[in-house]
Amino acid sequence: MSITRPVWRQSRGRVVRHDDHGAGHRWLELEVKSPFAAPGPGQFVQLRLPPTASPVLLPRPMSVASVARSRGALRVGFLYAPVGAGTRALAGLGAGSEVEVLGPLGRGFPLGHRGTPVLLAGGRGVAPLLFAADVLARRRRAAVLLFGARGRTQLARLTDAHRRLAAIGGRLHVCTDDGSLGPRGNVVHLLERILPGLAGPLVLHACGPHAMLKAVALWSLARGVPAFLAMESMMACGTGVCRGCALPRSANARAAYVPATASSLHGSREWAMCCTEGPVFAAEDLDWERIE
Amino acid sequence: MSARRAGPPAPARRPVPVGAVDLSVRLGPLRLGNPVLTASGTFGYGDEYAHVVDVKALGAVVTKTVTLEPRSGNPPARLVETASGMLNSIGLENVGLERFRREKLPHLCALGATVVTSLGGETPAELERLLDVLGHERAIAGFELNFSCPNVAKGGARYWAAPRRLERTVARLRPLTKKALVAKLSPDVTSIGDLARACEQGGADAVTACNTFTGMAVDLVHLRSRLGRATGGLSGPAIKPLALARCHEAARAVRIPVIGSGGIMDARDALEFLAVGASAVQVGTATFLQPDAALRIVAGLRAELAGRGVARVCDWTGVLCGEPLGEGPPARRPSG
Repeated sequence: MSITRPVWRQSRGRVVRHDDHGAGHRWLELEVKSPFAAPGPGQFVQLRLPPTASPVLLPRPMSVASVARSRGALRVGFLYAPVGAGTRALAGLGAGSEVEVLGPLGRGFPLGHRGTPVLLAGGRGVAPLLFAADVLARRRRAAVLLFGARGRTQLARLTDAHRRLAAIGGRLHVCTDDGSLGPRGNVVHLLERILPGLAGPLVLHACGPHAMLKAVALWSLARGVPAFLAMESMMACGTGVCRGCALPRSANARAAYVPATASSLHGSREWAMCCTEGPVFAAEDLDWERIE
Repeated sequence: MSARRAGPPAPARRPVPVGAVDLSVRLGPLRLGNPVLTASGTFGYGDEYAHVVDVKALGAVVTKTVTLEPRSGNPPARLVETASGMLNSIGLENVGLERFRREKLPHLCALGATVVTSLGGETPAELERLLDVLGHERAIAGFELNFSCPNVAKGGARYWAAPRRLERTVARLRPLTKKALVAKLSPDVTSIGDLARACEQGGADAVTACNTFTGMAVDLVHLRSRLGRATGGLSGPAIKPLALARCHEAARAVRIPVIGSGGIMDARDALEFLAVGASAVQVGTATFLQPDAALRIVAGLRAELAGRGVARVCDWTGVLCGEPLGEGPPARRPSG
């Protein structure tokens, strides 16, 4: 585990786009003032609304779905669903509104990892993976995207996913729990189904609900396929200070934990910090039996 | 509109130039450039925020609580957001004495911070051993004894909520260091004034009033606590009025300085704690919202005092203590 000094900064972001994306999803785009390093796929930022605009106290960790530069400024996009008090308040922000942005935070998907990249998305977890597909394409690596959701309306940004995967020479496979689009079942079933057509060795990158990530992790561990999973946890600071976002380490990760070389920004032998060691973790580093 | 209650009238003084306001305060042997400290557990070991916060400009950095051995902390969930506040159940996760001394302290010292090391022990003997090792460290300006963690099974707020135990413990620790010895107290007690007096009797240089309030939140879907451990410590704006009352009670009970803490989000919150008798304040949860919150409060305090024509922060401390604020021991007016 390498010890890296933090690079995140406090900055301000201005809402430049904020649209409805159907099925309860919204797309938010912020123009962020420098100095602010460009986040990579799987990294997140902490968004804080002005106290007058939000009933919640803590900033909200938001996974980054796109990064673009325009006229020297950084444009950062997010796909989210207003499901809690914080995101509902966020949904009320119009173009021109200002928010506080802290980031980029955490470690993203290791897209340089050897193997054919297979991206597994659940619901709005597709957003950072489309971002990952774009980055892979720039490195001349085509990706396969497996996209699952409860039903067809929950397949957020499906048209965009089709368009972008086609543009970069990737492939898109879709499944739904209710069978309303693509085969019935989850992305692990879908992976099993298309596995014979994939050129190995594979590397999996996944983002979605924890139940899905657990299924992907257990599948990958049983077959010795490397897998990287974007986890979620309740956070306060997002920077490794509050120690709030603990996730259980696997027995092997506990055994390999060397306190003398671990940064104090990271967790303890027992617990990993989702914000600084994650949010993207290798499947073998977490104890999936203790993850809900 | 009802008539104003008797008490000192709002001072109609001429504004003081912002740059001329003297923010320095004294906590026993410790002289601080300003009265704003970070609250233990909310600023790591100081180096985590050093790339965005000039730690030299803080009154002091109070470190994460250090224990003899490293601690892994409590099982998740460790955080829950509640109305205007947050519950935490971290459980004193820390790197332990050895790593603190070897890695953290030199770094913090190199950054030029005034370091107050928070110490946690399950027994008086453990605190004694910690002070045996750290008591004469040149890089440390003072110690805060964490007598008030609500999230540990042993050596937490409940164990230390006994005045005689506190007095004896502080008296045992006093000879081990010439540096400032501050006792951080729990609000979950019958009388924080009694605990503050016990610490004063034992030889503490100051008391901090107060730590988080024990709180709980229930997950109605799974019918269990929303925290991994049943209860946690509540912090943030939700506790400010409660903490202010504890600070006021402690300040009226002792002659040593009181450090106010609990839900301070901006300079005006800090002014309230100082007004009821605090000599300094700690900023905690606000740092999770804005890493430079404590520094903003330093700047804000300077401007607020200047606007009120108060040239020295120590003249503001206890301005409310002369008021008849209800039952309690006779009011004390600090000499400044």
